[in-house]
Parts: sequence; C-alpha cells; structure tokens
Amino acid sequence: MPAPWHLRGLLLALLLVSAEARAESPEDERPWFVPDQAALQLAGSIGFLSAGPGWGFFDDKVEAGLLLGWAPPAVAGEDFLTVTLKGQWHPFRLDWRGWTLRPLTVGLLLSYTFGDAYFVGLPDRYPDGYYWFRTGLRPAVLLGASAGRPVSALGLRLLEGYVELVATDYRLVHFLRNPVTVETGLFSLALGAKLRF
Amino acid sequence: MRLPRQRVASSTCGHRGLKAEGTVISSQPVRFWVPWLLLCAGCGVFEFHPYELRGMDGDRHARALERLRSEAGDGPLRFAVLGDIQLFLDESGAAVEDLEQRDVDFVVQVGDLTEYGSAQEYAWVARLLDRLRVPSFAVLGNHDVLGTGADIYRRTFGPTFFSFQHAGSRFVLFDSNSREYGFPGNVPDLEALREALAPEPGLFHTFTFSHVPPGHGDFDASLAGPLEQLQAEQGVSVSFHAHIHQFGSEVRQGVRYFVADSLDHRNYLLVTVDGPLVRVEQVFF
Repeated sequence: MPAPWHLRGLLLALLLVSAEARAESPEDERPWFVPDQAALQLAGSIGFLSAGPGWGFFDDKVEAGLLLGWAPPAVAGEDFLTVTLKGQWHPFRLDWRGWTLRPLTVGLLLSYTFGDAYFVGLPDRYPDGYYWFRTGLRPAVLLGASAGRPVSALGLRLLEGYVELVATDYRLVHFLRNPVTVETGLFSLALGAKLRF
Repeated sequence: MRLPRQRVASSTCGHRGLKAEGTVISSQPVRFWVPWLLLCAGCGVFEFHPYELRGMDGDRHARALERLRSEAGDGPLRFAVLGDIQLFLDESGAAVEDLEQRDVDFVVQVGDLTEYGSAQEYAWVARLLDRLRVPSFAVLGNHDVLGTGADIYRRTFGPTFFSFQHAGSRFVLFDSNSREYGFPGNVPDLEALREALAPEPGLFHTFTFSHVPPGHGDFDASLAGPLEQLQAEQGVSVSFHAHIHQFGSEVRQGVRYFVADSLDHRNYLLVTVDGPLVRVEQVFF
C-alpha cells in the first residue's frame, strides 16, 4: 500500500496554520475550531508515531484530538497509515510544585486504516452481514495518566507527557470471551507528548 | 533479590519514557530513555497496528514436521482434527488439555484460528498450540486472511499450501477460501493439488485439509466438481474441512468428507489409521 504523503503534508499544514492563528489572536478571541493543543504519540495501535491537533473543553477536563498515525515497514513490516479520533476525560487534576498532574484519563478512540486490504463497508464479494466487524475501523478504550509543566520560553501553557493503556475492540472481545486464555493481553502501551498552547 | 529487581525494571518501563517525553531537548536524558524505549518495544508492550507484521515465530510447519519425524513412535497412526477457534480460545484450551489424554501423533487445525486475522490473535493461538505435547499444523481460514492476516499466517506457519508424508500416509493442507479473493478461479489451486496427490509407491492413505468444504457457497462453485473428481481419482482417503461450525460427514464420488465442529461446541475429530482401516471419531470434551 503506497502511503498517501499528501495526508501527512495536510496534517503538518493544519498544525502550522493553528500555531499561526494562535500567535495572532489573544486567547479569548480564538475561534473554536483553532486547536489549542497538539500531540505526538508512540504506538497505541494507531501507528508507530502519530501526531495531530486537539481541542480542550471545560478547562481541559474534556479533550478531543485528531491523530494521523504512521507505521513504516521497517518497524511494523508493512506501511500502515491511520487517522484516529480520540476523546478523553480527565476527572482529576492536581497542581503540585509547578507540575500539573492528571492521574486518571479515560477515553475512547476510533481509528481508520487507509488501504484496500481493510474495509469499512463490506466489499461486494460478501453477502450482507458476512463479517460483523470492519477491519478498517478500530474502536478502542484507553486508560492513562499525564504530567506536565509550563514552558514559557516556547509559549506553551503546558508541555505534558502521557502514558496510555489502549484496549482495542478485538482485544476487549477476546478478553471478555476468554478470561482464562487471553490473560493480560488486553492492553498495549502508548507514550506521548502533548503541547497545550 | 533478582525477582524484585526485574519487577522494578519492567514497571519503570513506561515511566522513564513518559518523563523523557516531558523533558526533551538535552541529550543526557535521551541517552537515558532511548534504551528503555527500545526495551519496551522489544518486549511487545507496544502495538503499532493490529495488523503489524513483527515478532512472528517463523516457519512453525517446518519445525512441526521435523519434530514429527524425530518423535515417530510405533503403533497405529493417530491424529486429531480441530475445527474453528475464532473467539473460542478458552474452549480450545480445554480441547488442548483433553488431547493430553489421547495418544495422538499430531494435530491439524482446519482454519479460522482467529476472528479478525490480527497479529495478537495469531500470537495467542500459537501459544495455545504450543501447549500441545505434539506437533501441530494449521490451515488458513477465511477469517485468517483479513487485513494482512494471510501474511501473518505465512510468517507464523509457512506457505498456505503444505504437504508432507508420515507413517505411510500423505497429508495435504490447502487454501479453499475462494470468496475471500473474489472467486478468482484458482482458489483452491487444483494444479498444485494434482501434483501433491500424484501416486507414489509406499503410500497407503492420503488426507486433505482445507477450511471451506466444496459445495459450500464460499467455495468456488466452478471448482467444487473438479476438486471432488480429482480427490476421487487420486484415491484420497478422507477430506477434512471446517467453516460451517457444525459437524458433518458425507461421501461424494466415493470419498468421505468430514466437517469439524467449531470448538465452542466442545468436540473435535480423532482419526486412527490402522493398516487399511481409517476410523474417524467425534470426541467430546
């Protein structure tokens, strides 16, 4: 599957545009659609590396993010390109010696994998309902935590590191169906950095 | 002392990376966290994509065959045929335990090892099969083809067409998931099958294994007749299949066809070859 490079370009452009818009307008005049955060993530079933803009609501208690993920053949054996919509809720926030800690994050994500090998609508060769899931769409739940501090030199409200445990649909289904056999195979790990501006 | 230390190491795995992501810039921490990150990636806690192709344990079929040859015992040849595993890993685990009490030489699983065809499922099933005391072989099922599943299968088990001889019998595993490829007209590959079934002196029985049985709607209708005829001409003893999730047995053109039940129904097939006699039993566990 050749990687659509234009998508990666598009994402970069989106990030640059949002940064530009930030620089020009004071915080309270920002239009709602201008992102106020950006994330860079390692692993988590949505690519080797993924990055994209995000939006915080209710004092960053609720967040939404869009991530474009890529796993190159060198690390994943095949070229995987995904786009992921992520929603997160941080019920707690602790401020401690200049650090902002969010000890619990719960979230949902839905990722879409580009390519002919993965389907969202059942291809014509199958009768209706042949497969009950869609190989191109992957819902997942996540549990995480984060810690960060402001970096005024870079104009960041917060530079944050986060860790997430991601349970994709198929792992959840197998885990619930096979508690004996699947054991701890429910989660995979994601690490990331988030810039809040 | 060693055990707690190892625990500390693995639990700080994520923490080091996290801290480093937050601090960045200076090269000192980079030197510190990069090895941790590589360690984490190596120990399999990261998943880059459910259909990623890494960490597969190679040609299981070749190794199973090697083991079979080195462990050949006397007495009648006996093997088990397991149906669809898919979401039924716990029941399949019970089947594996039950097989401990049977004196089988090897096990053949007839396809749909997985539900989604993902790498993690292949790993779970490989681990399950590793619990068997005897070598095992597996056919490619339609679910196993999904995404990059066929590649994961090849990297885990080996080629999808596989034949071997053991104790005077021939065993041929092939891909009959015609619908998955849009009925291209060469799935199953009858040319390869004809070659594999060529008569050879010293062979008393031939057994074939494929996931979708001929005559089913997912089997290429234009190839069902030719396959049955070929199997009849070449004197196949028994043809084993799965896919339907329900035990079945019938004779077509003089050849016996069995469909193994899916493993959630807690039974499998036990085959005993004693001279010219072949006995197939449905064993419940």
